[in-house]
Amino acid sequence: MPSSWVDAILAAGAVPASYVPDASAGRTDLEGFTGADGVEDDELRTYCVADARPLAPGAVAFLDGIEQWRVVGYGGVTPIVRGYVAAAVRRRGPDRRLRTAGEVSRELAITRLDALAEPLRRALAESGVAVVELAEEDAGQPTRAIQAARRELERARLAEERGLAERCLAELGPDEWLVVDGVLSDSAALSAHRRAIGVIKSHGAQYFEGAELERALTLPAGHRTSVFQPRSRGARRAIYSWYLRLWPWEGNDLLYGLLRVEAHADAATVARASALSAWLMRERSPLSTPDARWDRLLYPIHDVETYLRSRAPRDVLSHPASRLPRTGS
Amino acid sequence: MIQTRDPEPIGRVVATELKPATPHQFHFWTANETTIGIGAIVRVEEPGPGKREGGRVVYGVVTDGFAYSDLATPLHDVVSAEGDPARAAESPSVRQEIRLWTAAVLRQQPEEPLQPVPLGAVYVASDADVAQALRMDAYVSGAQPSGIPVGLYTAAGLEAPVYLDADFLLGPEAAHLNISGVSGLATKTSAVEFLLASIFEHFPAHKGRVAALCFNVKGPDLCFLDRPGTLDDADRRRYERLGIVPQPFQRVRYYAPFKADGVNLNTLRTHPDLVGDVEPLVWGLSEVLDFAEVLLNRDDIDAKADAFIDFLSDRVLNKEFDDGFGGGHRVQTFADLDGLFRAIFDGLELSGRSDMWRTHHIATIRKVRNRLSNISTRCKGLVTDDGPSSDLPWGGFEDRTVYVVDVANVDPLGQDLVFARVVSKLREHLERRDLGVEAVVVFVDELNKYAPGDGPETYVRKMLLDISERGRYLGLVLFAAEQFRSQVHRRVVGNAGTTLFGRMDADELATPGYHVLSPAVKIKLATLPIGELMVRHPHFTQPIFVRFPRPAVLRGRDGVERFPPAADLSFEDAVVRQLARLDRRIRPNQVKDLIAERRPDDVRRALAAVRRTRPDDALAYFRRMLGARVAPATAPAREAVPPLNPISEEPY
Ligand SMILES: Nc1ncnc2c1ncn2[C@@H]1O[C@H](COP(=O)(O)OP(=O)(O)OP(=O)(O)O)[C@@H](O)[C@H]1O
Ligand SMILES: [Mg+2]
Repeated sequence: MPSSWVDAILAAGAVPASYVPDASAGRTDLEGFTGADGVEDDELRTYCVADARPLAPGAVAFLDGIEQWRVVGYGGVTPIVRGYVAAAVRRRGPDRRLRTAGEVSRELAITRLDALAEPLRRALAESGVAVVELAEEDAGQPTRAIQAARRELERARLAEERGLAERCLAELGPDEWLVVDGVLSDSAALSAHRRAIGVIKSHGAQYFEGAELERALTLPAGHRTSVFQPRSRGARRAIYSWYLRLWPWEGNDLLYGLLRVEAHADAATVARASALSAWLMRERSPLSTPDARWDRLLYPIHDVETYLRSRAPRDVLSHPASRLPRTGS
Repeated sequence: MIQTRDPEPIGRVVATELKPATPHQFHFWTANETTIGIGAIVRVEEPGPGKREGGRVVYGVVTDGFAYSDLATPLHDVVSAEGDPARAAESPSVRQEIRLWTAAVLRQQPEEPLQPVPLGAVYVASDADVAQALRMDAYVSGAQPSGIPVGLYTAAGLEAPVYLDADFLLGPEAAHLNISGVSGLATKTSAVEFLLASIFEHFPAHKGRVAALCFNVKGPDLCFLDRPGTLDDADRRRYERLGIVPQPFQRVRYYAPFKADGVNLNTLRTHPDLVGDVEPLVWGLSEVLDFAEVLLNRDDIDAKADAFIDFLSDRVLNKEFDDGFGGGHRVQTFADLDGLFRAIFDGLELSGRSDMWRTHHIATIRKVRNRLSNISTRCKGLVTDDGPSSDLPWGGFEDRTVYVVDVANVDPLGQDLVFARVVSKLREHLERRDLGVEAVVVFVDELNKYAPGDGPETYVRKMLLDISERGRYLGLVLFAAEQFRSQVHRRVVGNAGTTLFGRMDADELATPGYHVLSPAVKIKLATLPIGELMVRHPHFTQPIFVRFPRPAVLRGRDGVERFPPAADLSFEDAVVRQLARLDRRIRPNQVKDLIAERRPDDVRRALAAVRRTRPDDALAYFRRMLGARVAPATAPAREAVPPLNPISEEPY
């Protein structure tokens, strides 16, 4: 049994871990290494937030979105995908209950029109459904096409989220914050707002290497890193960011309970990074179980997602049972 | 089309594979803050193509409620609060919660085909909905309405009158009412008092006349039904809503036996202002012999004793009778009968022939003698040893009148006798249709004593069973109350068409009889506030909770405070009081002079004669009766044959 070598590395100082990786949904962070510039400190440090006074906004709006999809047909080998995207803002006032403050949803068809036969094309056009076109190079192979459709769907969801977030910001009260599930940096309005924060729970992008990376990824529970500025890439706006560990990762995995927070790039953000972090620590309760990502999924975000799922059309969800041959009705 | 006056739905029917909607039950959720509660009546509308066009409407009553949040397991609450309950309250967000309710179907419209409840919007019931839901539309309005208000359905800010159907409360379709609940909180006696007032006011004209006969078995409970009690504004408002005038009973007749002295009434209604309208209840030998079965089968069933009693009633009572030893007897009183017994015992002893007298064994004769002497001892004020009786107005019962028979202080044996005889007489007259009224409600409190579920078969229990099974055709209706329904004979409670429950004891609710009630309804019953009742009635498919006003009569407890019972009068004064009631001209001293040095038995006998005859000149008649039989053949030689089985310590 391999217990002998596991025992050996533990004895040599490795922290025990046990985690089964899971494909995370939500607003995916960029892949790969981009680098970052120190803002609060030149070299990344860790701060305990236990003693910081948590920020206590009078009201908070939480924004999240969902996407659901399903291949509903093929024209030859070209898939036709039915996609549904929706986003909602649920606002939490002094009574600590979440209420819907805004929502949008959209249904679309994703396919490659010129790969479809004329009748199919016509039917799509006449139905009035919004059609999103796949790039020609993606459309040839079904597997590739489906992956591309998935990306298109995500793009559509992000657009809905952005639109809703921007409307929400316009209505935000003076003591009110907006918490977005995912990055702020793809929206000018969000990046520029002083009371918007993004909470990122998937860590595709890496901003550090070596000792700094180790500091970030082995952050103890209740600690944050120094505020840094991810190096902007493409259209991304300047933003400040830091890592925050909600739950002890030891015994689980490096990313367990790890959030990356994004906030407006200004000195005030640095000044209140600990207060913001302490606030987010408080948001650990209530737990967002039974969601598997509960270690970094804030309950109000989970709530928005539950709300959206309950409103989604039943027939875009794919149940395992639906793979049975269809009966008459 | 916009219908702005439409009420807002307060809930939504939900159904899952595990909790489906059925034709008899459904589930719905409401906002966390809602006026809905256990017992609330709701209306479900089938979602139709247009607003309010679905057609199917279902009425239901809430029988259970559930609250839960999206917490996956309690452990997660512990984790998020880091084991500190105080911190659990500090969570910045409150979890999603649900108020989920279960309702039992009261009625579906249309009734056929009977289908599962549609997954529609839920509304709180309006007045009209309550009437529909309880099917009261069939009998509250129409050509011959027969609704009897029983209380107000109060929920969600509504106060809707709830009616019972007289045809199902007082016959002939169904009849009888049973009410149970714990002492002092269940308002059993009060509820019956209120309901009698309601019946008197709403008994449908086409059903004729109605009276009530109430056995007062507990202290002063029913002694002041003609006196006004205290009501508050809420009570008065409820009376008005129910269409009942809040006033005490206009016509009440009280009957009570005497105490052992034979002249003071055995009741708590002896305050000088009130005692005048209490009629004595006194029975003689022939009244007792008719119901001697009562006396026998309390302890045993004995066909031989029965036969001997039949023989006495048929062949001896009020007839010239030869004892076979040369003696002639005309037995009219207990004293006469004892004379016959002694003659028989002496005759058998002297002749030494055998232990048999006219096919009856001497042991049987002794036993019957014992039992008869026993009743005349233990119920001395009820059963006159000698002389005529004073009874209820058989044949002269009046409409909307309450007859209270006070047996609260009477020996259990005597109570049985009173029950047996009064109810049998009612039955007899109702069968002959000459009672004076078409229907009589007989109210028996503490039913568990008179019709217990276990224990030996008694005459009284058989009789109560008989009324409960056959009374509805005769207009003989039993209203009975007890603390523990489970302790009453199953068929007696089972035959009650209408059942009321006040605050219930939790142990009682755990008995099998309450199986059909949901745990939530049980909790509601176990904590029911004073003045609220749960009603089961044939037209209601589910039990309904109502609130009723305090009865408009003086509570027994308050009555004895306001009208404290008088101390017992001396023998002479009591006789004076009795005579003065019959003839106002009578002066105390005249009576006292007359009865001085007279034997009390003679005085009682003469008094009874006056009471029965009601002569124009009571004093003169009394004087004549006193003179008539100076030395009755009673007391002297009684010790000759002592009772074989003395039950009472008292000397015979
Ligand atoms: N409708 C009512 N509203 C408020 N209080 C009431 C109402 N009816 C009765 N009460 C009060 O409740 C108390 C108990 O009533 P009641 O004597 O009728 O109870 P019970 O069930 O007959 O008790 P017990 O088993 O001791 O005979 C009384 O004090 C009475 O005044
Ligand atoms: Mg009572």
